[in-house]
Parts: sequence; structure tokens; C-alpha cells
Amino acid sequence: MPDAVSLQNLLSPGYVVSLIIFTATYALFSLGLNLQWGFTGLLNFGHVAFMTVGAYTTVLLSLQGIPLWLATLIGAVLAALLGLALGATTLRLREDYLAILTIGASEVIRLIALNEEWLTRGALGVPITDQYLPLGALTRPTLPTRIGMVIWWTVLFALAAWQLWRWLRHSSDRPGKELSETRSIPIHKLVWGGVTALAGGVLYGIGAIAIIDYARYGYKVGLMLLLVTVLAFVYWRLEVAVNAPWGRVLKSIREDEEVARALGKNVFWYKLQSLMLGGAIAGVAGAFYAWNLTFINPDGFIPLITFQAWIIVVLGGSGNNAGTLLGAVIYWMYFTVTRFALPAIVPLDDARLGALRIMVIGLLLIILMMVRPQGILGKKEELTLGR
Amino acid sequence: MVDEPSNSPDFSTEKLEAMQPQNLDEALAEVERVAVSPALELPLLAATSLVKNFGGIKAVDNASIEVAKGSITGLVGPNGAGKTTLFNLLSNFIRPDSGRVLFDGEPVHHLQPHIIARMGMVRTFQVARALSRLSVMENLLLAAQKQTGEKFWNTWLRNKEIATEEQQNREKAIAILESVGLAHMAYEYAGALSGGQRKLLEMGRALMTDPKLILLDEPAAGVNPTLINQICDRVQQWNRRGMTFLIIEHNMDVIMSLCDRVWVLAEGRNLAVGTPAEIQSNPEVLEAYLGQ
Ligand SMILES: Nc1ncnc2c1ncn2[C@@H]1O[C@H](COP(=O)(O)OP(=O)(O)OP(=O)(O)O)[C@@H](O)[C@H]1O
Ligand SMILES: [Mg+2]
Repeated sequence: MPDAVSLQNLLSPGYVVSLIIFTATYALFSLGLNLQWGFTGLLNFGHVAFMTVGAYTTVLLSLQGIPLWLATLIGAVLAALLGLALGATTLRLREDYLAILTIGASEVIRLIALNEEWLTRGALGVPITDQYLPLGALTRPTLPTRIGMVIWWTVLFALAAWQLWRWLRHSSDRPGKELSETRSIPIHKLVWGGVTALAGGVLYGIGAIAIIDYARYGYKVGLMLLLVTVLAFVYWRLEVAVNAPWGRVLKSIREDEEVARALGKNVFWYKLQSLMLGGAIAGVAGAFYAWNLTFINPDGFIPLITFQAWIIVVLGGSGNNAGTLLGAVIYWMYFTVTRFALPAIVPLDDARLGALRIMVIGLLLIILMMVRPQGILGKKEELTLGR
Repeated sequence: MVDEPSNSPDFSTEKLEAMQPQNLDEALAEVERVAVSPALELPLLAATSLVKNFGGIKAVDNASIEVAKGSITGLVGPNGAGKTTLFNLLSNFIRPDSGRVLFDGEPVHHLQPHIIARMGMVRTFQVARALSRLSVMENLLLAAQKQTGEKFWNTWLRNKEIATEEQQNREKAIAILESVGLAHMAYEYAGALSGGQRKLLEMGRALMTDPKLILLDEPAAGVNPTLINQICDRVQQWNRRGMTFLIIEHNMDVIMSLCDRVWVLAEGRNLAVGTPAEIQSNPEVLEAYLGQ
């Protein structure tokens, strides 16, 4: 009987809501890294530092009675300032210095959170109680409110579906050219499009059920709605910005910063903007991360988090925001599905199963990098280009 | 007739006999005067006593150069003479150990390279640098100056303006691509271009910035002869429209057909300056090229 039970668990609205929150938090977090690495070519190996700053700032400030939205904003600003500090000291040097400094900074910040107990309560961690969560008050929204929420939820998914449709139907046969409608949709697009549509449909449906039954699932439903809204907003603004001349400058820096400099671009300043903006986005992701867990401690901010973001970005295709979203969905789908499916197939204890899952994803990544090194949505042609 | 190595100029004994008087010292004195007390008839670019040592190597050793407004000026010299390094010093990609650079009447040797580029002095690279994963078109669009859409906040507020500008820049880019013979490659990745095509891309990008002065580092290297002729024609055409050129080139035909004045550099020092004809008949220049 374990099969039926686990499938039921897997599709229960409560579980799906927390899955969506996790996935969207990681998607947001990874969009920040994608801006820095995928578009600007900045080697940030300490992305979790920005998340730590965002999370702790939000929690500690809201405990002081500062409204959560303001605390989140301050968290994002502080994360951006961390980007400024890291960038100002290393961005003029060779690129590997940034890599080293970011690794160091993320560990230093985690150790500060661990040791400065007067501020962070160290390893004990800090809980945010319900009273500080503005959505906590919204445990019993009226029916019209809930219907409004479902409509908004529908709008968000409709926008996503429209994006998917555009991606399926339109393509630019050559780089830098306007998109044009294609007659035949290639197989790989159909497969990925189908999987995404199916997963999106399931998430939409169960999410909608959870919204209708808000009282039963609590403030997390509201958090999910808010987070997906923020994610959609950030995605939209990033897409506009990277497709504007601003994004072109970032890409030129990624390709060859000397050229950008020779053409009159202030390379240092653009790198700084990318680092700070990506950091601020990760800071906001940190706020949601804390809000979702209602408890944070330094163990939640280990370097592994950074590398999960790297996996998501590379999996989806560096320099592709939609790819990053898809990467996050696939990554968490994998973990969820294996969590329920593996125990049924492989007779191992929990600890060994956990290790096995990580092994398998490592293996899958190696295979993906061999078959499709540009990532799921990356462009194959780009790999064969000379410098 | 046997082809000479492309990097040694074509000297014939007839020309050597009709030796021209040396006016290097005069010219250097003039640069000095201009750099110290700017006169009314300013040259577009005047650099004096530039020095750059790389460890023990004196790459540029007290060299000066002057480029008159509206001219096409040449810079020649044997391999390793310090020409590219001099370009790097002029555009401040490498900081000079000492010396002054005046561009358009203003000292620029303390300014950052991108600011110098914005002032209208744009350099190209000897080893062409393509932005591989951008299309040829995007390479050119990037070069357009003062774009509204390059400011992050403008992507929130001024999208109409950005779109119109982008359209205008596209049209301009197509015209430039046509003149450098890359129009058919506009929507290919720049990384897919051949070596010669990349040199053309470099030039196109530089033109796209609407510069006052273009520093071309061996624009003809690796470009086929027909296209070289076409490019020479274009350079003259752009020059008539008011653009000034400083060209490093080993191909003496290009120097002969384009340049008003040629500066010769050897071992980081000024060797001679004059019209192309004067330079070709200068025994010291001949010695520098052949007698190493
Ligand atoms: N970054 C550097 N570090 C050390 N030495 C350098 C550097 N750049 C140039 N040099 C040296 O300075 C000297 C001048 O080089 P430069 O590239 O300016 O010559 P060039 O006149 O452009 O030659 P070519 O005609 O071959 O392009 C050479 O001896 C070179 O080895
Ligand atoms: Mg050179």
C-alpha cells in the first residue's frame, strides 16, 4: 500500500502548496544568479550570502515590530549593499578574485550568524511567530476575496501559458533577429512544452483548490500567491531589462569586457549593477525562505544552497530566464518524486536513500551535460562558436 | 617580381636617391609646442613623450605623435616597434609611465578608457575581438552611443523611446554592415565569423560609435585584396565626411593610398615623420625595417 499513500501525499494541496513555495523561492534565488553569471559572466560562488542577509534582516527587523514588507525591502537593500561591497573590492581585478571572495563572504556571513548570538541567537535560530506575519491575520478570507485570489492565480498561470505558447510557436531562426512564427514545432520543444504544460496544469489546479479551501491550509496559501506574484514580476522586469540595450551591455561584458570598454561602456559600473541587482533578488528570496520556514538558523544557509542555484541555472541553460524557472521546477520535481517513489522501489533506510537521490541527480547532470551541454533551453550553436 | 614580406615597405633605390629632407625634429618640436600651449589650430590628437616599460622591455620609449583634424594619419614600424602599445597608451587601456595625451584640446591620459571612447576616440584591436554569442547586428547595436535603454531605470519608464532609438540604430547598423561587406552576416553569431570578417566587424563597430577619431590597428591584415580596396574607398569616404583616422598598417599600398602623413616608430622611439613618399625614401626607415 505505500504507493497509494505516497501518491495521495504527493498531490495533497497542503504538500503542493509548500512545494510551489520551495520551487518559487529557489527560482527567484536562481534568477539573481542567472543575471550575474548567465548574463554578465560574474563568477559568484557565494550566492547564499545574499539570501542569508535577506532572511536574517527580514526576520530580525520584523521581530522589532517593523512591518514585514518594509523589513523585506530593507533586507533586499542590505543584500544589494553586500553586492556593492564585494564588487567594489574585486570587480577591477581578474574575474577569479570575485569567485574566491564570494565563497569566503558567504561562509563568513554564516559564521557571523552562528557566533554573534546577541544578534542572531546563534545555532538556536530565530523563529518568527504568527503575529508578525501579515498573512496570518488572513486565515479566514471571505468568499469574494478567495474568488478574487483564484482569478489572480488564473491570470498568473494564463500569462505563463501564453509565454509557453509563444516559445512553442515562435522562434528566431537566427540570433538577434525578431521572433517569427514557425510552421513546424520541433520535437524537443513539444516534449518540454508538454511536460511543462502538464506540470503547470497540475500545480495550477491543486493551487486553486488550496486557495478555495484557504482556512484549511492557512497563511501558506497566501504566501504562495504572493511569492508567485513576486516571481512573475521579477521575471517580467528581468526579461524586459536583459532584452533592452542594458542587457546587451551585460552580455557584451560576459563575452569580452575589453570590447565593451573600447566602445565607451562603464564596465565596472554595469558589473556592480548586475551583482547588486542579483543580490537584491536573492535577498528577497531569502525573506520568503524565512517566512515559509517561520524559523531560521545558520544551518539553512550552507554553501550547498549556492550550488543548488548553480545546478538550476546550468540545468535550464545559462543566460536564459525561462530556463532558470524550468530548471527550478525540474530540480524540485526530481526531489519530490524521488522522495515518494524511491522508498517504494529501493529497500534502503532514509539516510542512504537521501544519499542515493543526490548521487542520482549528480549522474543525471553528468548525462545532461554530455547530451545537452547548453542546458535545456540553451542554444546549441553557441557552444561551437570560436572566441 | 618576388613578393616581399608584407611587413616591410616597398623601397626602391630610385626613391632613395631622391632623398627628402628630414623634418622629424621640426615635427616633434611642433607637437611639444602644441601640447604645452594649445594654439588655435589644434590637432585632434597630440601625444608627447609617452613612455611605457614592461619589466625590462621599453615598449614605448619617449614617443610622440600628432594627428591633424580631418586627416588620415599612418603609423608604421617593424614588428615589435611599439605601435600597438602606443595605441593602448593613447586610449589609456594601458597607463603610460609618463607623457601627455591631448585629445580635442583636453588632456585625457588620466581618464578612464570608456570616457575617452565617449569623447570620440575609439580604438580597434589588432587581434580582432568579436562578441561571440551576440549576433553581428548586436555587436554593432552595442556600439551606438548615448542609448536611453542602457540605463536600467529607463527600461521601466521609457520603452517607447528605447524602441524608436533601437530602430534607428538598426538602420544605421545595416548601412555600416553593407559598407564593410558584412550585411549578409547580420544575423549570424559573431563567433561564426572568419578572422578577416572579424577585422571588418571591429571596424564597423568603431564606426557605429560616430567617433571623431578612429584608431585602426592593422585593418587590412587578413582581409582579401578586393575588400581592402573597398575598405580604403570607404575610409576616404568617411574621412570626407569629417572623420579622422590613425591607422597602423604593414601593407604599404594601403598607407600610400590613404595617408596624408605617416609616423614611423622603431624600438619604441620616433624614427621619422612625413608624407608616405618621404617615408618610403628615408634611409633610416629602410635600415630599421631591413637592417636588424
Ligand atoms: N602586455 C605586455 N607585456 C609585456 N610586454 C609587452 C606587452 N605588450 C607589448 N609588449 C612588448 O612591447 C613591444 C612592443 O609591442 P607592440 O605590440 O606594441 O608592437 P607592434 O609595433 O604593435 O608590433 P606588430 O607590428 O607585430 O603588431 C614588444 O617587444 C612586446 O613584446
Ligand atoms: Mg601591433
